[in-house]
Amino acid sequence: MFKNFVAAFIILIPAIILRADRQNMPNLREESNIYQKVYDAPLRLIDGEQARLHQMAGKKPLVLVLLFTRCTGVCYPYLGQLKKQFEQIRQVENEPFQVLAVSFDPRDTQEDMQAMAGAFSLQSDSLWQFAVTDSIEALTKSLGFTALWNEELQQFEHDAILIGLNQQAYITRKLIGFRSNAEIGQLLSSIHNVFSPTFRLPNPNMRFACFDYDPATGRNKPGIGLVIIALPAVLTLLLLFAIWLRTRNKSSNSFR
Amino acid sequence: METTRFNKITSLWIITVLVLFVVAITLGIIMRLNQSELITVSPITFYTDMTVHGLTMIGIWFVAGMAAVNFIMERYVKTSHGVNVFAYVMTVVGVLLLWASTFFGRFHAGWTFLYPLPFKVMWKSWATPTFYFSLAVLGVGWLVWCLSLVSSLLKKYSLKEVFAWQHFSKNPKTETPPFVLIAMISLVGIITCLLAAVILLVLTFAEYYSKGSFVNDALLMKNLTYFFGHTIANEMLYLGLAILYELFSEISGRPKWKTTWYVALAWNFTLIFILTAFFHHLYMDFVQPEGFQIIGQIASYSASLPAAGVTVFSVIVAVYRTKINWSLANLLFFLGVTGWVIGGIGAVIDATISNNFILHNTLWVPAHFHTYNALGNVLFSLAFFQWFSAKYGGGSQRWSKVVLWLLLIGGIGFLTAFYIGGADSIPRRYSSYPEVFATAKTLAAFGALFATVYLSGVLVFFVNISKRCLKILLQRS
Repeated sequence: MFKNFVAAFIILIPAIILRADRQNMPNLREESNIYQKVYDAPLRLIDGEQARLHQMAGKKPLVLVLLFTRCTGVCYPYLGQLKKQFEQIRQVENEPFQVLAVSFDPRDTQEDMQAMAGAFSLQSDSLWQFAVTDSIEALTKSLGFTALWNEELQQFEHDAILIGLNQQAYITRKLIGFRSNAEIGQLLSSIHNVFSPTFRLPNPNMRFACFDYDPATGRNKPGIGLVIIALPAVLTLLLLFAIWLRTRNKSSNSFR
Repeated sequence: METTRFNKITSLWIITVLVLFVVAITLGIIMRLNQSELITVSPITFYTDMTVHGLTMIGIWFVAGMAAVNFIMERYVKTSHGVNVFAYVMTVVGVLLLWASTFFGRFHAGWTFLYPLPFKVMWKSWATPTFYFSLAVLGVGWLVWCLSLVSSLLKKYSLKEVFAWQHFSKNPKTETPPFVLIAMISLVGIITCLLAAVILLVLTFAEYYSKGSFVNDALLMKNLTYFFGHTIANEMLYLGLAILYELFSEISGRPKWKTTWYVALAWNFTLIFILTAFFHHLYMDFVQPEGFQIIGQIASYSASLPAAGVTVFSVIVAVYRTKINWSLANLLFFLGVTGWVIGGIGAVIDATISNNFILHNTLWVPAHFHTYNALGNVLFSLAFFQWFSAKYGGGSQRWSKVVLWLLLIGGIGFLTAFYIGGADSIPRRYSSYPEVFATAKTLAAFGALFATVYLSGVLVFFVNISKRCLKILLQRS
């Protein structure tokens, strides 16, 4: 019987593995490409200078913003919001850093980006730099960033994203969407290689969380996950009891 | 006939464990040589070696303890030879799958395979499921083995007897042999941590196959990982202690040890505390409830004291001013207890929350767990191998002193390099050290040199033992 069981097991395993290989991995967008080195893209800055991304990061750690000038969606409101937030943050942040806005649209020129910066009076702000690159694909791939072209709308579908790069040009943190000053502060800590606690984003598909966040009260309540930690001990007790019952019933055949 | 069958399967376990031990030590030496920059391997090879080294060591010394316990248990109850063979087959299949996922698939998430690292595929995509299937195969084999042994014990002993609870009353009518008590306590702990592994694997596979519609909680996964990992690493040591309680007095020519109320109490407490000590692995996890952290520290202190106190006391009483028939086997047992205590003190220091914030990611961690393994648990199992092969394979004790000195000098030197590194805040799990850690490379070279001395001792031992075990294996029933 054991031989058959083992043989069946050995035959089944490769089949299951092959099936597993075809499955998609879960999408952890903010966690993708973290601690990977970003592609050293050649940049054309709006002041006419040319630079490479690693060179810029080496001077000051970078907060990278990816956008495009023909955007009718999130890019302009996002840039406006970031301008306000960084004006507040720079008052309290002591460590040097630079915000670099790079276009991922091949149609964008230095002039387009200059106009975009001008719309928010950022073209002469020392905290900000705007640039275009000829290596969009290599750069976005190394950042784990995807922009899908929508032919009907003539627009890119993309995330509003901030990416932290430390002086060695490693990706230290990503923030997708409009985020609080505190979270941007944590991103700044990460680009200065300061430990900052990170949390995975709330995910509706997370079934057995140790804590459940209640948005109404802003507090965490103990979740089913905490009970699961105790489950092995409970199962062992039940198993022991079951074995004991089974053996007790057969006690007449025991050794004694 | 039955005895011969158990002798054969035990011999097979011994040979297999020793072969894998030599491979795993060699991988460890390669890692230390790379850290010293005397050789160069790629970071991926380093972490692949680290993954295989860690899992192989945990696995082989667990099965070594189980094989020894199964063999000795035959003195008290009838156990299943078929399940023993089944566990062997599953172990071999599991190891082959593990090697396939690591050496060919380049899976290198470390032996703790902390979620969600295995999902961040930086290796062949098939390597992640293969790695998890290797764990599933090993887990099924070992769980069935443990349940079978527990079932065998409960056929003869009642629940009260098997946990030695009758010893809490005056003049107990029956005596539970210390071996039976400790084996049962260890097996229950092992079953619990293997069930934690089962839950962990089920949750992992659920996420893997769900295409993102099911996501796990990282905190839950880490708790379950260490529930399994920490507990099995401790329980395998207790399996070695069960053998020590049975054989040390016998080999030394002393009266057999008996279970008393304090022995029973100590081991029952150990079972409770050991199942909650794993929380000390999550001190760095700021989201872990503070109460769990406190339980982790208290349980770590409490788990080590009863078993260690009673065992050390028993061993000292047994040898102090008494005539002992010293041989390689009981010397290995004796030195194993010493190594276990020293490693245990290192562990308790690290399990103290305030210390852990300094020591957690340093070489102190491998220092303490290598102490109670390389100079503790491993010596318990080698003692059993020596006793078993000499008793059933015959032959004279050759090279005993050489083996002992090589293991001791190699072990102490290799561990000293780890401890000094830990005290000097040299980080663990670095494939190569930046210049800022001035002593790290020298210490790594020092560690590799002494680990090679230790390996030489193991090789001499292996040659002697394997000859006898092969003789047992090839005996006609």
